[in-house]
Amino acid sequence: MSENHLAIANVPIQPWGELYSQEEALNIGTIFQDLNMPFFASESVMGTTNPIASGLKNLGVSKEQKDREQLMTKINQISFFLDDLTLYLDTHEQDAEALKLYREKAQECAELRKQFAQEFYPLTKLCVPHCKNGETSFCLQDGPMPWEGACI
Amino acid sequence: MWIYEKRLQYPVKITKTCPKTAQLIISQYGGPDGELSASMRYLSQRYSMPVKEVGGLLTDIGTEELAHMEIICAMVYQLTKNLTIEQAKTAGFDAYYIDHTTALWPQAAAGLPFTAIEFQSKGDAITDLTEDLAAEQKARTVYDNLLRMIPEPEVREPLKFLRTREIVHFQRFGEALEKTKDKLDSKNYYYFNPEFDKDMFHGEL
Repeated sequence: MSENHLAIANVPIQPWGELYSQEEALNIGTIFQDLNMPFFASESVMGTTNPIASGLKNLGVSKEQKDREQLMTKINQISFFLDDLTLYLDTHEQDAEALKLYREKAQECAELRKQFAQEFYPLTKLCVPHCKNGETSFCLQDGPMPWEGACI
Repeated sequence: MWIYEKRLQYPVKITKTCPKTAQLIISQYGGPDGELSASMRYLSQRYSMPVKEVGGLLTDIGTEELAHMEIICAMVYQLTKNLTIEQAKTAGFDAYYIDHTTALWPQAAAGLPFTAIEFQSKGDAITDLTEDLAAEQKARTVYDNLLRMIPEPEVREPLKFLRTREIVHFQRFGEALEKTKDKLDSKNYYYFNPEFDKDMFHGEL
């Protein structure tokens, strides 16, 4: 690590520290407790609710949709955990703890995506072979578009 | 090569039409410090980066910025998809409506179109990484300003998520700059340009 020098920016290298749970991390925007620095000036505007969980409480939602949204939430959470861990590992290639966690989460994520394709629809091209109705028609465009949000 | 994954990085579920909010948020799609600009900046800079790991980081952050662009677009789309003409008129969304109806088009909040003039790819690792640090801070300020202006929780939550990402990216670009500095002479980081004077950078000084 470089020492401080004149006339150039200096940012300390982040040491490994306490992590948030998978559920908390997606709500907050990072897995690292040390990097959570909220904008308190705007917090007085209003209290917070969690829109990720609140979608599941909607009445009149079919069981199929509820199950699908639950699995999708898990995939979103674990995928985001991997996103943040990837950037950390890009600058900390030798960090043993981060590497171990990455391998575990990556495997779990792959299995969840396979399960999602088997039960609902494929999230990527490579998930297409896992779909149950994939033999009779091309299923890549099955399921709602991700930007449709509240109405799916 | 990229592979599309049919989900948002952070879910967006907006139930209430609000063209005024859409008009503010669209700045993070096509505005000067928006996600499109961020993605194109990092994905352009990476090719000539002298430190391989830094090029890799630019690829990964540039890719995440594309996912952020999709989140912002989903928000604008959901805020306007059931728009009535009356709502467009009263909320000041009329000018946008005339040119784009309720389609997505990259522009700043004040109507300026997206342009590559907003970012740099300078061909000098220290210069580019310093620009990237500043870019993350500029985007954070935009999210701060949006959070002051917008009270609806269903809109605020994705904005807060995106704001935190700017801080994480700043940290990573800082570490990338440290990695680059490690390979340069600390007595004078500006002795040569590591991105152009390749022989000098590879230790034949």
